Amino acid sequence: MKKVEIFDPAMCCSTGVCGPTVDPELTRIASAVYSLEKKGFAISRHNLTDDPGAFVENKKVNQVLVEKGPDALPVVLLNGEVVKIAEYPTTEELAEWFEATPSELQEKPRVRVSLNINN
Amino acid sequence: MYSLFNPNQMAVTPFLFFTGKGGVGKTSTACATAVALADQGKKVLLVSTDPASNLQDVLEVELTNDPKSIPSVANLSACNIDPEQAAKAYKESVVGPYRGKLPEAVLATMEEQLSGACTVEIAAFDEFSHLLADEEILAQYDHVLFDTAPTGHTLRLLQLPTAWSGFLEDSTHGASCLGPLAGLEGKKALYKKAVDSLSDGDKTTLVLVARPDNSSLLEADRASFELKEIGIKNQLLIVNGLLQSHQPEDAVSVAFYERQRAAIEQTPEALKQVMAYSLPYVSYSLTGVENLRHLFSSYAIHSSEAEETGEPLDLPGLNGVIDDFSEHNTRVIFTMGKGGVGKTSVASAIAVGLSEKGHKVHLTTTDPAAHLAYTFGISDLRDNLSISSINPEVEVARYKENVIEQAGSGMTEEELAYLKEDLESPCTEEIALFQAFAKVVEKSEEEIVVIDTAPTGHTLLLLDSTEAYHKEMSRSTGDVPDSVKKLLPRLRNPKETGVVIVTLAEATPVLEASRLEQDLKRAGIEAKWWVINQSLYATDTADAVLKGRAISEKKWIHKVEGELAEKCAIIPWLEEEKIGYDQLKEFIS
Repeated sequence: MKKVEIFDPAMCCSTGVCGPTVDPELTRIASAVYSLEKKGFAISRHNLTDDPGAFVENKKVNQVLVEKGPDALPVVLLNGEVVKIAEYPTTEELAEWFEATPSELQEKPRVRVSLNINN
Repeated sequence: MYSLFNPNQMAVTPFLFFTGKGGVGKTSTACATAVALADQGKKVLLVSTDPASNLQDVLEVELTNDPKSIPSVANLSACNIDPEQAAKAYKESVVGPYRGKLPEAVLATMEEQLSGACTVEIAAFDEFSHLLADEEILAQYDHVLFDTAPTGHTLRLLQLPTAWSGFLEDSTHGASCLGPLAGLEGKKALYKKAVDSLSDGDKTTLVLVARPDNSSLLEADRASFELKEIGIKNQLLIVNGLLQSHQPEDAVSVAFYERQRAAIEQTPEALKQVMAYSLPYVSYSLTGVENLRHLFSSYAIHSSEAEETGEPLDLPGLNGVIDDFSEHNTRVIFTMGKGGVGKTSVASAIAVGLSEKGHKVHLTTTDPAAHLAYTFGISDLRDNLSISSINPEVEVARYKENVIEQAGSGMTEEELAYLKEDLESPCTEEIALFQAFAKVVEKSEEEIVVIDTAPTGHTLLLLDSTEAYHKEMSRSTGDVPDSVKKLLPRLRNPKETGVVIVTLAEATPVLEASRLEQDLKRAGIEAKWWVINQSLYATDTADAVLKGRAISEKKWIHKVEGELAEKCAIIPWLEEEKIGYDQLKEFIS
């Protein structure tokens, strides 16, 4: 199975609702990661403030930080290789990597409507 | 009226928390109580968690983090826990191990993220949790008194069950806005114990300290409600500084007395249900153990300090501030400072003064206690003066609604619940207010905008860093409103913006205001004026008690004028509350 790791900048909370405006990009990624995790996919997120160790231990991420500084975050790794710098993966990319459909990543509550067409 | 507070005649719990806003006399009340209990033979520990604590001045002993016995009071020990120091230490414990391992610029973004108000509060709570939960402390002392109680929002944060389990057990979700709590997983049991002790009425008493004035009683009411809601029900109220008698021939003395009585009559209903006591207004400053003992033992006036005569002051009044802003055509004027210092009156008087000079002025406030409509009287507005108010509750509700509308579509119910939990964070209120400010400030393109209270330095920095972050993100889809984008540069431009720090000539408000000023400096904003409000020193009162107080103001006036302010003005204590346009004009005459 493919493995995705997202290294976030220093943030207060991963849904991004604490900024001066809500960044839909952050709420999108938070909910996509949440859905993928629930389905058992190998995806993880590391926030610089809470988990700086991860940014040291991962040599690839560390190298990006040394070369480009904090503005390079978020850094996205696919199977251990840097695939994105300073931006989050799109929903389509995530779907492609995990061979899922984009709609699976944004599941909506399903409402069953029963229709009686016999009358 | 209330009976005098006397700890010698009361059943006292092992823990006592003294809470109330800056300048109400928390420290002196807590010290006097500690001394009285120790004099009874009880072993007492007094702890201050106020970063601007004047505990050492009051006790006249140098204090540190570790309890130290007070030589002149057998059985009393005291310590001074500085939460900012603790927050710094916490920040260093997070960032320090990575020095040399991550680039400096990267570490700087972490440090900024850990500089918020939450970190300071959690660090303070961390410090006193040890005292609350440590059995050894209780074995050693009969009473532990805390000068400053934890706020409702820290306690709520610590109680969030999903926060603990969701965040700490599975940090990849990072559901809740816990920032500074994240590194503290080992402390869950300790915090639970501390929170339990606080809500146990046999263990803890919450002492709400207030002055006999409307805003301080309202604040006590708010704290009482908030802390009751999270289970701290054993509360009592001390009205501090109640003038016992007055001199009928001295106008200031009569007005002072009557205003206090009127404020007490208007005590909020809920607060009236709390057991209340009073402490007298005294002429002497409450420093030194002997003076503290006086407070409970005899109420005789002790007037040696009142002998001096005041030197004339050479400071402008509020009209100096107004002239300056009018002349420089300052577009945005903020009044800042702790609650209860009279920000709203000062802001209103500045607005009136500028409109009298022919400027078109808009005045707004966030102070829920100070309805401008009340300050002015309904029919009292002039053509070139308009008013509005920013209601924090309304703004927060609106903000939450917006977020859920913007971001919530397409989310499952579980995801939405996560998002909603994040929205309960204290940051949300700051951000919501910030947006409301930005909208009002935008009006300054057409008229002068006077704003009573301002976003904190923390919010400003948050905006700054987030905006920078947005710029760097190539595909930033977060939609920062124009008003917000322009706000910070505008506030940083001294040609456009004038910040007025309002204070009283007393230790705590001055020290807290100077901290506020430091916060603003970090955000790149300079305070232009300091206004010393309600000064008895600037009156000609002959009342012995009031005169004593007036003399003790001198030191603080000199500190503000000499060390803190670029420009300083002073407003004498006024005999009546200024309500209405014409009355406000008197403020500036």
